Amino acid sequence: MKFWWLWSKRGKELDKEIQHHLQMAAAERGERGASIRDAESGAQREFGNVGLVKEVTRDTWGWRWLEDLFEDVRYGLRVLSKNPSFSIAAVLAIALGVGINVGLFSVLNGVVLRLLPVPRAEQILSVNQIFHHHVSRNVHNGESLFSYAEYLDYREHNHVFSGLLAYEPFVEATLGGGHMQPLLGTLTSCNYFEVLNIHPAQGRGFVDTDCAAPGQNAVVVVSDELWRGTFASDASLVGKQIILNRTPCTVIGIAAPGFSGTEPVASAFWAPITMQKELDAGRDRLGDSNMSWLALLGRVDPGVTTEQVHADLSVIAGRIDQSHPGRITSLAISRATLVGRPDEREFLIPVASVVLAAFGLVLLIACANVSNLLLARASVRQKEIALRLSMGASRWRLVRQLLTESLLLSAAGGALGSLLAFWSFAGVAHFLIAHLPKHFPTPALDLAPDFPVLAYALALTLLTGVAFGLLPALQSSRLDLNTALKADGAFSGSSRKSGRVLRDAFVGAQIAVCMVLLLAAGLLLRGLYYAQTIDPGFDVKNVASAFLSLQTLGFDESRATGFAGSLRKRVADLPGVLEVAQAETAPLSNDHIGDNFLVPGHAEKVGMEYNYVSPEFFSVVGVPIVRGRGFAANDWRDGTPTIVTESTARRLWPGQDPLGKTFRDRLTGGLAGPQHAVVGVAKDARVSRLGESDTMYVYFPASPTRNMRSYLLIRFEGNVRDLNDSVREVARSIDADVPVQVTTLEDNMEVWRAPARIVTGLSGALGGLALLLALIGVYGMVSYSVSRSVREIGIRMALGADGSEVMSHVLRQAMRPVAIGCVIGVAGCAAVSWVLSSLLFGLGAHDPIAFISVPVFLLVVALVASYIPARRAMRVDPVVALRYE
Amino acid sequence: MKERYQNRIELLQGTLDLLILQTLLWGPQHGFGISRAIRANSSDLLQVDAGSLYPALHRLEKQKWIGADWKISENKQEVKVYRLTAAGRKRLTQERSRWEQISEAIGGVLNPAKKEGAS
Repeated sequence: MKFWWLWSKRGKELDKEIQHHLQMAAAERGERGASIRDAESGAQREFGNVGLVKEVTRDTWGWRWLEDLFEDVRYGLRVLSKNPSFSIAAVLAIALGVGINVGLFSVLNGVVLRLLPVPRAEQILSVNQIFHHHVSRNVHNGESLFSYAEYLDYREHNHVFSGLLAYEPFVEATLGGGHMQPLLGTLTSCNYFEVLNIHPAQGRGFVDTDCAAPGQNAVVVVSDELWRGTFASDASLVGKQIILNRTPCTVIGIAAPGFSGTEPVASAFWAPITMQKELDAGRDRLGDSNMSWLALLGRVDPGVTTEQVHADLSVIAGRIDQSHPGRITSLAISRATLVGRPDEREFLIPVASVVLAAFGLVLLIACANVSNLLLARASVRQKEIALRLSMGASRWRLVRQLLTESLLLSAAGGALGSLLAFWSFAGVAHFLIAHLPKHFPTPALDLAPDFPVLAYALALTLLTGVAFGLLPALQSSRLDLNTALKADGAFSGSSRKSGRVLRDAFVGAQIAVCMVLLLAAGLLLRGLYYAQTIDPGFDVKNVASAFLSLQTLGFDESRATGFAGSLRKRVADLPGVLEVAQAETAPLSNDHIGDNFLVPGHAEKVGMEYNYVSPEFFSVVGVPIVRGRGFAANDWRDGTPTIVTESTARRLWPGQDPLGKTFRDRLTGGLAGPQHAVVGVAKDARVSRLGESDTMYVYFPASPTRNMRSYLLIRFEGNVRDLNDSVREVARSIDADVPVQVTTLEDNMEVWRAPARIVTGLSGALGGLALLLALIGVYGMVSYSVSRSVREIGIRMALGADGSEVMSHVLRQAMRPVAIGCVIGVAGCAAVSWVLSSLLFGLGAHDPIAFISVPVFLLVVALVASYIPARRAMRVDPVVALRYE
Repeated sequence: MKERYQNRIELLQGTLDLLILQTLLWGPQHGFGISRAIRANSSDLLQVDAGSLYPALHRLEKQKWIGADWKISENKQEVKVYRLTAAGRKRLTQERSRWEQISEAIGGVLNPAKKEGAS
């Protein structure tokens, strides 16, 4: 802005200066006796061309480039507006490419880059620890977290933080009383709100005395969302008691609207860390000094650097290491974001880079497309360019002019695309979230564009403009003046040939990239179809499950057994219920239990998943026992009888009879634990993962007292909704505070299909966009080359070629780059398709059906796209074509 | 048209700079005044046209050899008045000695007999 002001000021000054000169000159002539009019015109004449003098003078200011830029922009706008269909096509292609990338980036930004939603968030640092030697450590939610004792040590002895807070994220709790509902909350140190500088909208936050002694202060701050939703904005909620996991807690405050914690999943409540044992009965994390469970956030004073923090805290880490022989800890300190822990990033970065690459590919196709349009147009503009070159314009000047035009296009496209992205991506994200399986917690993401997003959009736009504009600009400014000026453009020798190679390369690249995306979409679609039609190996339609999370409800073992036992008995008596079973985990619930075992004959420990099941399990779920026997009612007392799956038997004891074989638990330190003896073999079934039928899987007999966390499995007839109602009724009559929900096992399959469905939808949409862009590219190239070689075609026809020969010539020329692109695309996709294998449900990453049908489809579509314009070549009348000039 | 002016500026450049700097040695002056002073002091032989003068003035100003101030004239008009700076004074002595060398050299070429006779 300052620049414009200065520029216009200097212009005005120059006007004034020259005006004064003319007045003085006129006055001088007036003194010599000339009439006023003669004097003025004489002065003008003597002075010369005022406009020109001004321009030459302005040149000395050294702002020539700026005026050139104006000129280029003005000229570029004129050229682009003269050719609206080209400009609109180019702008739309760029808008599409830039738009989806900016949208994606705003999501990633919301997840990974955006600072915490608290005042002066740049002062908040996240502290994580990394253990170098393998240490034995209890882990809850991530190894990089801290124990309570460690937290207190860091808090007391650091010299860099004005405050250091600790919290346990994702605390599962059941809201009791009249509002029975599962919640995710946070246990926090009592300086939480103070350090974050977030003050509750009503009531108060925590004070130090709230954390004074374990279990003493049952107080809670609830989120604004919970208050408005479940508690219907109850104005008198502060001071009342609510029930969390059967513990009555007094509401002392309601969090500020919009504050949902410091994790990507919204927190519904905050309770003092000292209430851990009360809220998660049976586990004492607070007192376990070797337990990773607390995330640490510290606020530094202004001016304290991350290095200083690292140096100061490392001293404390070193001291803690000394009391744990063999342990070497290093600290990772970073600006706190919603997703910032090392383990979370480890998961997110590969996923994000695959998605970013896929989106980037679409932008690449759009660029290649616009490049091709520009190249085609450049040969139409050859005469104009040749004229400017011959008038003495330098090549650099011409390249600059042409690049200005591409940047204008990309700026328009980028602006349009970014606007669309900001406007639509939040909607798309919400759509995706709404279609996640119902157990998924709601992410708390802020997708509004901020500085990094805008900077990314701008950089991407500029890069795009240069990317698609540079090659055509260089190409078209390299002209042989003689031929270009003489010929009509269509037959101007050398530059036409190299232009053609470049255009073919662009088409080939588009097809190759499009092929990769389409193949990925095809593979995923096949995988999804496979998942829809897959036979899991057990009955999913007539079996329902209910998850009993009695531990988080605060039950102890005897009460849990009492509840679960009578529930099982009474549900079994319900009409329509055929049989019930108890299991530690339900088939396909994505709730895995696994451990290492010692198997005689195997040097290495063997990792296997297992399930504790009651004898009825196999008949309820419909997994047949193929050898030996199932569990008997008293097997759990002995504990040794074990049933393995066919694959497990085959892999552990190849070629031998598995019955009677034994293996042992592997205890800490590699010691052998209790023995298991195989009494039966169950048929393979996809009980663990929908994509795997051959998971190493064993069944142990469940004790009737193993109920702290278990599933009730029900084989039923009739309607699952009726079953749900009657089971809930039964549960309520036993204990009103236990929420129970009954769903069929088929619903569990949905949990597995949902991510595949989202990714398939996404890649299908991307593949479709890519296909559209690539086809426009092929169509454009063919119709352009037909229109440029009308004379050549005319000569061929005059020499006796018939329409079909001409047609096949044109098609051959068009399909060559397409075919090369296809081959490259297939090879490229084959090289990277393994990244999708987790979403293919056991379908090979080189599935022949996808790898044959997709290329054939693309080739046929490309053939049609070139056939339509090629038909025009057939209709060329040789007489008209040769008379063309 | 533009080309013509630019050519002439280049032709005159060194000399015109010298003339402007020399003129300003006698005191601050506006653009029109400078052109009239050069004309008067050369007995109307040197006519500096505006298309050369103003680019030269702005260039010298940018090079900080002359400075410019806005003053109010007798008839209440804002007038841009140029003055010599310290750097400009130094430049003037350099330009002068260079000019004297050149004119001496050209004089020698034009009057070879005289030079031969002298030696």
